[in-house]
Amino acid sequence: MKKILIPISLLLLALFLPELVGRNPYFTGIMINVLMMASLASAWNIPGGYAGQFSFGHAAYFGAGAYTTLILLSGNPIDPLLALLAGVVTASLIALITGSIVFRLRGHYFALASIAVAEIVRLSVLNLQFTGGAQGILLSDLTFHGIDLNSKIPFYYGMLMILVLSMGTTAYIQSSRMGYYLQAIREDQDAAASLGINVALYKNRALLVSAALSSVTGSLYGLYIRFIDPGAVLDLRLSIEIILTAIIGGVGTIWGPVLGAILLVPLAELLRSNVIGDTLISMGIVSDVSPVGHFFKEGLAHAHVLVYGVITVVCILFMPQGVLGITRRRK
Amino acid sequence: MEPLLTIDQVTRRFGGNVAVSGVSFSVMKGDITGLIGPNGAGKTTLFNCMTGYISLDAGTIIFEGRRINGKRPDQMCRLGMVRTWQRVKPLGKLSVLENVMIGAFVTTASPKVAGKASLEQLQAVGLDRYADQPAGTLPIGLKKKLELARVMATRPKMVLLDEICGGLNHAETESVLDIVRMLRKRGVTILFIEHDMKAVTSICDRIVVLSSGEKLAEGTPEEITSHPAVIEAYLGGGYHAQG
Repeated sequence: MKKILIPISLLLLALFLPELVGRNPYFTGIMINVLMMASLASAWNIPGGYAGQFSFGHAAYFGAGAYTTLILLSGNPIDPLLALLAGVVTASLIALITGSIVFRLRGHYFALASIAVAEIVRLSVLNLQFTGGAQGILLSDLTFHGIDLNSKIPFYYGMLMILVLSMGTTAYIQSSRMGYYLQAIREDQDAAASLGINVALYKNRALLVSAALSSVTGSLYGLYIRFIDPGAVLDLRLSIEIILTAIIGGVGTIWGPVLGAILLVPLAELLRSNVIGDTLISMGIVSDVSPVGHFFKEGLAHAHVLVYGVITVVCILFMPQGVLGITRRRK
Repeated sequence: MEPLLTIDQVTRRFGGNVAVSGVSFSVMKGDITGLIGPNGAGKTTLFNCMTGYISLDAGTIIFEGRRINGKRPDQMCRLGMVRTWQRVKPLGKLSVLENVMIGAFVTTASPKVAGKASLEQLQAVGLDRYADQPAGTLPIGLKKKLELARVMATRPKMVLLDEICGGLNHAETESVLDIVRMLRKRGVTILFIEHDMKAVTSICDRIVVLSSGEKLAEGTPEEITSHPAVIEAYLGGGYHAQG
């Protein structure tokens, strides 16, 4: 009973959250980012956390969704849902090609190849005509069954739906034979194969599901922002943020990636908006003319990935199971 | 009696080194066949060839009348030929029960059914009270038993045991050999790599001796222990004096 009660109350809270902040666009925007990172980290977690196949190029699937959807919609009055499905097809193709080649190899080849594939996608998008190159793609008008898309609220609920889909998929996989098989592959690939697991097939399945979910997230993000360029949706930094979110929250669990996003996205926002630096200075803890104060005021905003890095090192040293692992151990 | 597994003129090279050279023998259905030989004789290489982990340079492997060269390890397992590992490979973070379930999933897709079947296997090898413990935390003797339980859960026709008694003390060896005997009673054919001569001669119906990649001799335990070339190559004078 308790097992169902917590997710349901959290879902109810999530449903009413925009009303609780009075539909404030700033907070709604941050919450959309939390849901987006949670969904991406959950998707990454399926091959990464369960099967131990670390992808360093998940931005490729996110970007494939965003680009496919926006390219199709700019100038064509088609249903956004169709454009979103087209994104899934593109991302799945990239995943299938990558996986079927790279999963034949063992060890860290997949991690390396995932970076290579993501860079190939990024550079292609940057240099091709129909992708808009470095200028990116701007979507001027968008309509969807009479919903007001100038408000952030529909996108909040859209992202929430995608997160529920990602978590539901993870929960389903975890409770089925596939979940056991992925974890067996993570623990020992040779032993897994000797017990009847088609290792390459299951890795490919995991990557395919993950790519499809990441792509849907990317499509919705594209529709929400309406302007994308290679730096925003295909950058290696995004891939790394996805990994860090999952690791800090706790890999190989349903809630870990979500927890990671709830902790890290607002933290990044605090750093970016200079709230931390300004507070420290206004409280007189550091002076704004000292080098430390100068760093807090000018440097910290650009350093959120650095802060993620430090947190990750601390996490790996002191809580390798992630933040979720700590609560588990105490039980 | 008919052969379940026949290997014919199997050769495997690593660079210029011939690890297995033209080895042929058959394993009869229901038998426990021992595969012995000094270190570097090619026993584990032969196991790896037979279970699809490495490819053959020449020769054929026939299982249940079908040629199975070039099949993947998971396909071998689903055909009914499953191996254990000389260096045990527990799925460390999974529980003992979950380890066995991975094997049981060959026969069912349902975690519930697999869990029930696995608990029975754990009871059969005496590991049921460790069911919820992470497999990585078991001592070596119990890890070897876990390997056996996991293999049994796949409902194999034949198991290949790679030094299942290696690193165990006398009492542990005896209890592992009891499990091997139980496997045979269930109708499972066994191919058994082992260094412990006492274990081999006490349990095997037939023994194949490898030395430097070639088959040196084949026969009953009595024939092998009195075979001059085997004593020379493997057992040495010490064993002869003991016997």
